[in-house]
Amino acid sequence: MLIITLFKGVPARTTRVVTIGGVLKREEMDIVMNPHDFKALEAADYIKRSVGGKLIALTMGPDVKLSPIVNSLFDAPIEGIDEGYVLSDRRMAGADTWATAYTVAKGIRKVVDVHVRPVETLISMVEGGAGTDELIGYCRELYNSNMLPNAIYSELPTIRNSTVTAFAKGELTREETLRRLRSSLEELRRFVVVAGIKTTDGETGSTGPQVAEALSEMNGGTIPSLTYVRDFDIHPEDGTIIVERKLGDLFQRLRSRLPCVLTISPEYRSRVPSVRSRKAALLRNYRCKVRRATIWNAGDIDADPSKIGLAGSPTIVGPGVDVGAPQVRKLVGVTKVCLRRVERFSLDGKTYGPFERGTKVDDLPHEVIEYLEERGDVGTFTLEMLIEEVFGVKRVVVERSG
Amino acid sequence: MSSNDLGDYRDVWVYCEHVDGELIRPTREIIAAARSVADLLSMRVVAIVLGYNLGDLVKEPVYYGADKVIYCDDHRLKDYLTLPYTSIVSDMVIKERPWALLFVANEMGRDLASRVAYRTLTGLAADLIDLKVEDFVAYTPQGKVTYPNLLAQIRPDFGTRIAKIFTPRHRPQISSVRPGNFKELPRDERRNGEVVRWEPRFSDDDFKVEVLESRYERRKETGLEDAKVIVSLGLGILRDSKGTVRNPREAYEMAQELVKLIRERFGVKAEVGASRALIYAELKELEGLVTKEMQVGQTGKTVAPDVYIALGISGALQHKVGMNRSKKIVAVNSDPNAPIFEIAHYCVVGDLYEVLPKFIEALRGE
Repeated sequence: MLIITLFKGVPARTTRVVTIGGVLKREEMDIVMNPHDFKALEAADYIKRSVGGKLIALTMGPDVKLSPIVNSLFDAPIEGIDEGYVLSDRRMAGADTWATAYTVAKGIRKVVDVHVRPVETLISMVEGGAGTDELIGYCRELYNSNMLPNAIYSELPTIRNSTVTAFAKGELTREETLRRLRSSLEELRRFVVVAGIKTTDGETGSTGPQVAEALSEMNGGTIPSLTYVRDFDIHPEDGTIIVERKLGDLFQRLRSRLPCVLTISPEYRSRVPSVRSRKAALLRNYRCKVRRATIWNAGDIDADPSKIGLAGSPTIVGPGVDVGAPQVRKLVGVTKVCLRRVERFSLDGKTYGPFERGTKVDDLPHEVIEYLEERGDVGTFTLEMLIEEVFGVKRVVVERSG
Repeated sequence: MSSNDLGDYRDVWVYCEHVDGELIRPTREIIAAARSVADLLSMRVVAIVLGYNLGDLVKEPVYYGADKVIYCDDHRLKDYLTLPYTSIVSDMVIKERPWALLFVANEMGRDLASRVAYRTLTGLAADLIDLKVEDFVAYTPQGKVTYPNLLAQIRPDFGTRIAKIFTPRHRPQISSVRPGNFKELPRDERRNGEVVRWEPRFSDDDFKVEVLESRYERRKETGLEDAKVIVSLGLGILRDSKGTVRNPREAYEMAQELVKLIRERFGVKAEVGASRALIYAELKELEGLVTKEMQVGQTGKTVAPDVYIALGISGALQHKVGMNRSKKIVAVNSDPNAPIFEIAHYCVVGDLYEVLPKFIEALRGE
């Protein structure tokens, strides 16, 4: 089965990339994998270990930033991914959720097609009465390029009864072989896409469900999306999945047909696959890992240029507006404030005031502040003043008598 | 849906979420939001209600400010399911051509809005904190194009900035609006409105997902939303300013002491809140004390108390959008560059383990 895990590259930190003035500190914008997507990877890894298949990571964005992340996932602390794809094209830049969903769905479609087509060809060869040598030769080539699961053809010593090998040995009739190949094909078409619930930079949580919707349109049949999944049980043999999810206060246990798109909640904890399922899992696995990210541009995935990137985005982000910091900010130990009410006064021919007790005077000319400090009218804002202003409570200082 | 004749699209729609025969509060808030926009453009507010055995619930949106209700009452809509709900809302949108459609930005709203927006080929702006009506000017290779009277969909951006999202060439303009940013209108049973039943058309595909179990699990109420004072804790409570490891329980207990004193002394509602970082750290010392219900921020509660005291909270954007409408924000943090200081009215760069006892002492009147 094809297990496709989506991830997004996001700025490494969202807390420190902006200065107090609101300016983006670009040098701190290292790109890392969106933290929520680790949960998706964890869930995808569980699927691979429990039922088998090929674990494929797919992402969209500049390949120079994203390929290193994909390459690091082959040796993740888990079993790691088997293949990685980066959808990278200048024309994809500036995409909103609609255009992103379309592009990512096109990428998924291509991944699935690439895996389905050789099996379709194989079926038509068997139907056309191809000889065993021809079939084995075709299968060996596909197997070595990682395009056939062990169930169809394998050179592993532990797997003796893969479909085409058994057919070549005369252990399977042509009809039985076709039935098994068609069932493998059906399983391949029942892929699963696993995504995080949202990203730390956009936070919209729209991509998972929208990818499902985009895939439905391309698939010509509805592909369900199951969001906020906390636990699941997947059954590729009959093409179903049972999930537990929580939408706010609403707890749901749902049974869905495959293919489908899951978004994984931070509360997900992966389980340990049973021994029995792991044995069956081996049959769905592929030969090995392809240890280098594959980069596809818009043409490679047959994307309509009018539906990707900025051009394909229904929404436009208008100019940002700085709503500004609070009008008056007082820093304990720094801000200068009036310690008592100051009546109107003149200094160097200019008049100032009156000021209420607690007024921040940092913006007054330096010499005016000095003048008021000398008079004892202005001092540094203290914690006691803060408590008084916030709670309206005056702290009573008790003079201790010797 | 894209069209050259965008003028055909009218009215501001609201998708209504309901539990136990009542509209949830955020739904009542977005009816008010829709009202404010619709009035500027002489449009109607149309509420859509989906479910089973709806009864008198279908009139509730009118009492809260809607002009019209379109409802769909069918046994197959008993439990929320993404696919049939998407099909019905999308069919309504395609046939009735609303100008805008608002959802609540909670888990269900996001789930549904995403698929509806993609299926009806239009834009989605998520997590809005405000709505306005504005002209939008685009500079295209063909020259300057002005789109008059668009929905300015306002969401938080980096730092103290906000971003305005526009959907100039597609209708409806679909948005999800965060709870706690609009004030619901008072319920008024004298208000009149049209109530129309919608007959659903389902396909087999709509039921590719079946419900095995579906129930509401009530969360423990914290009363954070209507507290007048909130004392909120972040991961900074793990160490004091000298870097010494502290038992976070100490800070928690001081915070509880502080809210207790505030309640006693001022007779107002005061509660302890927490940042997402602290809750997800799942500290043993705070087990059962700091729970998800206490979370303030984008994925937690949106609050606007009179006084918000942030202790050891760095102030990630996601936290700030949940509390930045508080009237007075006091931030205590040992890191002078903590982003929380950008929006705080009172900034204390220092050790919360020194500052907190002073607060308590002052309120005790010692």
